[in-house]
Amino acid sequence: MEDVQKHSVHTLVFRSLKRTHDMFLSDQGNLPVRDDRSEWFRRQCKINAEYSVVKDLPKEPVKKHISQADNPYNKWPGQDTQGADTSREMMAYETSRIPPPADSNKALVTIGSQQALVPKKAPTMPKPDWHPPWKLYRVISGHLGWVRCIAVEPGNEWFVTGAGDRVIKIWDLASGTLKLSLTGHISAVRGVCVSPRQPYLFSCGEDKKVMCWDLEQNKVIRNYHGHLSAVYSIDIHPTIDIIASCGRDGTCRIWDMRTKACVHTLTGHTNTVAEVKCQAAEPQILTGSHDCTVRLWDLAAGKSRVTLTNHKKSVRALCIHPTQYTFASGSPDNIKQWKFPDGNFLQNLSGHNAIINSLALNSDNVLVSAADNGSMYFWDWKTGYNFQRMQAAVQPGSIDSEAGIFAMTFDHSNTRLITAEADKTIKIYKEDDTATEETHPLNWRPDIVKKKRY
Amino acid sequence: MALKISDILPAPSTRIFDRDDEERQIRAQMQIAPVISNRAAPPYGHRKGWIPRSQDDFGDGGAFPEILVAQYPLGMGQKKSSSNALAVALDAQGKIKYDAIARHGHGKDKVVHSKFQDLVPKQIDEDDPSFERPDEDSVQENTEKTRMALEKLVSGKIAAAMPVRAAEKQAPAQYIRYTPSQQGVAYSSGAKQRIIRMVEAQKDPMEPPKFKVNKKIPRGPPSPPAPVMHSPNRKVTVKEQQEWKIPPCISNWKNPKGYTIPLDKRLAADGRGLQGVHINENFAKLAESLYIADRKAREAVETRAQTELKMAQKEKERKEEHLRQLAAKAREERAGIRRGDEKGEEEVGDRDEIRRERHKERQRDRNLARAAPDKRNRLQKERERDISEKIALGLPNTGAGQQEQFDQRLFNQSKGMDSGFGDDEGYNVYDKPWRADKEAAQHIYRPSRNKDKDTYGDDLDELMKTNRFVPDKGFTGADASRRREGPVQFERFEEEDPFGLDKFLKEAKTGQKRGAEDTRSSRDYDRKKRRE
Repeated sequence: MEDVQKHSVHTLVFRSLKRTHDMFLSDQGNLPVRDDRSEWFRRQCKINAEYSVVKDLPKEPVKKHISQADNPYNKWPGQDTQGADTSREMMAYETSRIPPPADSNKALVTIGSQQALVPKKAPTMPKPDWHPPWKLYRVISGHLGWVRCIAVEPGNEWFVTGAGDRVIKIWDLASGTLKLSLTGHISAVRGVCVSPRQPYLFSCGEDKKVMCWDLEQNKVIRNYHGHLSAVYSIDIHPTIDIIASCGRDGTCRIWDMRTKACVHTLTGHTNTVAEVKCQAAEPQILTGSHDCTVRLWDLAAGKSRVTLTNHKKSVRALCIHPTQYTFASGSPDNIKQWKFPDGNFLQNLSGHNAIINSLALNSDNVLVSAADNGSMYFWDWKTGYNFQRMQAAVQPGSIDSEAGIFAMTFDHSNTRLITAEADKTIKIYKEDDTATEETHPLNWRPDIVKKKRY
Repeated sequence: MALKISDILPAPSTRIFDRDDEERQIRAQMQIAPVISNRAAPPYGHRKGWIPRSQDDFGDGGAFPEILVAQYPLGMGQKKSSSNALAVALDAQGKIKYDAIARHGHGKDKVVHSKFQDLVPKQIDEDDPSFERPDEDSVQENTEKTRMALEKLVSGKIAAAMPVRAAEKQAPAQYIRYTPSQQGVAYSSGAKQRIIRMVEAQKDPMEPPKFKVNKKIPRGPPSPPAPVMHSPNRKVTVKEQQEWKIPPCISNWKNPKGYTIPLDKRLAADGRGLQGVHINENFAKLAESLYIADRKAREAVETRAQTELKMAQKEKERKEEHLRQLAAKAREERAGIRRGDEKGEEEVGDRDEIRRERHKERQRDRNLARAAPDKRNRLQKERERDISEKIALGLPNTGAGQQEQFDQRLFNQSKGMDSGFGDDEGYNVYDKPWRADKEAAQHIYRPSRNKDKDTYGDDLDELMKTNRFVPDKGFTGADASRRREGPVQFERFEEEDPFGLDKFLKEAKTGQKRGAEDTRSSRDYDRKKRRE
């Protein structure tokens, strides 16, 4: 039996105080642990007091409820009571205004959501998704001129490039070896695309030619004759057997693949049409032009449906989102995101102050813009956050001014980015596997970005 | 409650449609309080101070003559306003639709963004159904619709491009039952009704187009411009302008005025002289080693030459020794007795050999001269090759030699070329008829007999003798009676010289030449000199 050392009451009290202090010092300043029950009561009260008018919203589609059901935020006790239904709808209403935030920033965004209810405040930028940074992975040199265009085969085994040396080259995607060279153009090749439904390759060039190559014989089998000047871009319609080509004559022409007839000549642009894209949904044709406009066309009627005049400089690049019903257009002043089918303006991605030659977008919501000075900017599609900037290095023997990217595409696995450059090389980029969110953190604060209006 | 007149009166036997009644009924059903705007004109006599202002004031009628105001019932007589101002249109909230002007002239389905709201950024919300791509079915439906439309266009274009097309399929015949208004036995052979079969007239598929459309149809007016949805471009600042200033290229060859820069200045300008010349030290090493190797080789060659020289000297000494021995032997022999006559026999044999060879050669020459005249001996050949001499002496060129050949003997001589042509003043080249001795004139300019027999026939001489063209005048002194055969030939007319004066003068001119011996000797001297 040890005898306890006698202390004065004063000392004991101070010791106890110190221990308590040590014990709670670690989580001083933290919010108290949330009591779900009281929180629920608070919400109910608030709902009844403030939102009783809008409590009963019209029923959302069933699909939405399913997506909401697995949201961890929705799970609290008392969910099966009769108030749960309204709360879920309330949640749907709230989450429709803010993107589902990451856990660490829940508190902040909750504040943001309350701000979002006040319409007067300028919207803050939501937290962007983290994407791994991209790095150079392979350089392929083989062309004798500027590589102007690029396309990946639907089977994702090879890709095709066209260059200023009038040659179309086919490369193995996995190994980067040359498989085939096709000659036939008499001037620079400006556009290539591979058909997903026929063994055909289509190319267009500055010699006003639009050619159809049969890849079983590696021969030109058709010529689409009609353009009055250089043809700058070409695209295949995904579901109908037509191709669209556009060029320096300010028109976009729709060709019937088999009969070689020019179905439509889409006139309306007042300057060179730099880019054309096709999609199956309405509007089926979109063009970007040097007259600073983007036009969406009604393919059946051959008329322009919407003219977007928001750009201040010529639009040289377009890209359609693979899953969303949106698209983006790139111009030296801004990259703009739009919504189909009417071309409603969504947002600006500003910061890339160079002549943007190409845009590429993958299903991982990574948008890449590549410019004439060799700079590449990587953006998060949803928020427009620029998470990486890159300057392509020129191959040895080239001068620095030859760093320029003319075309760019993701392969069909969305893991490789292939660029066609002015230093006569093709470069392949891939995601950095070693990077994590800790090693490459997002430099983002919710209040740093105020959206510019136009 | 007042009694309605319709309650008192009996129900109408025939029902007449009245729009007012209908409206009233509908209103009664829908329980809507009727709002009647009474825009009728005041009755006649009560119109003082009232002015019809709108079309409704006129009702269905015309102008009111008692109101002394310009009136345009039904807009008649009104001038059409030339203004193209749009009528003000209101939207659902009753606000003025200002975008009507932006929409004016566009098609119905054209989307025109013109509001400020269209410039405000929106957040991408993935849960919003409007952000979802249209589903498969609607896309497929859309595709099918578009495909049909395009197919129609394509087939039309292809058909138009064909020179000949298949005959168009005719629509099925239509049958029309027709009851004529004039009924009777007299009309249409008494039938009450007729059935008419209507068929489309057949078209000739090969018929050329009736109307020429060779005029280019002018393009229609372009669609009105879309509203500009961006701020006006900023003015270019001085800094930006300076950034865009690209310096002109400076040529090494031409100055700004376009004149060529002299070579020395161009070389001075390009900075080549400013560069120090760096030569790799390996060059020096290489040069040194080459030099050493060269010297060694030379030394070796020299030593070899010296040893050879020594050996040659030794050999020479040995030979001299041998000769000396021989001489001693010969002296001994001369002093003693002759040993034999082997040497004399040898010399005779040699001479015989030479003789035989000479004989053989002569025989061969003879044979050659007899058998192959083109391989004649050299003397003859040289005689024929002597062409210029012959010309100098007035002999024709009989040889067939094509290339120029000069006889050396003619050079530097006072005879032949030098003297044969005479001096420059003397005209003695063409003073004699050419080939006077031979009958060249007889044969020249005449066809060879056999060749032209078929052209002229056998009697060529006859033809030639017929004198079809007789000159009026001949040359003085020419004998006109004598027939000339061949070309005209001239001879030097020798004047008579009764006193021998000309001859004397000629001798006096050439008299200073001394004699043949002198010239001869000088010529020999020349030749000797040349031989050396």
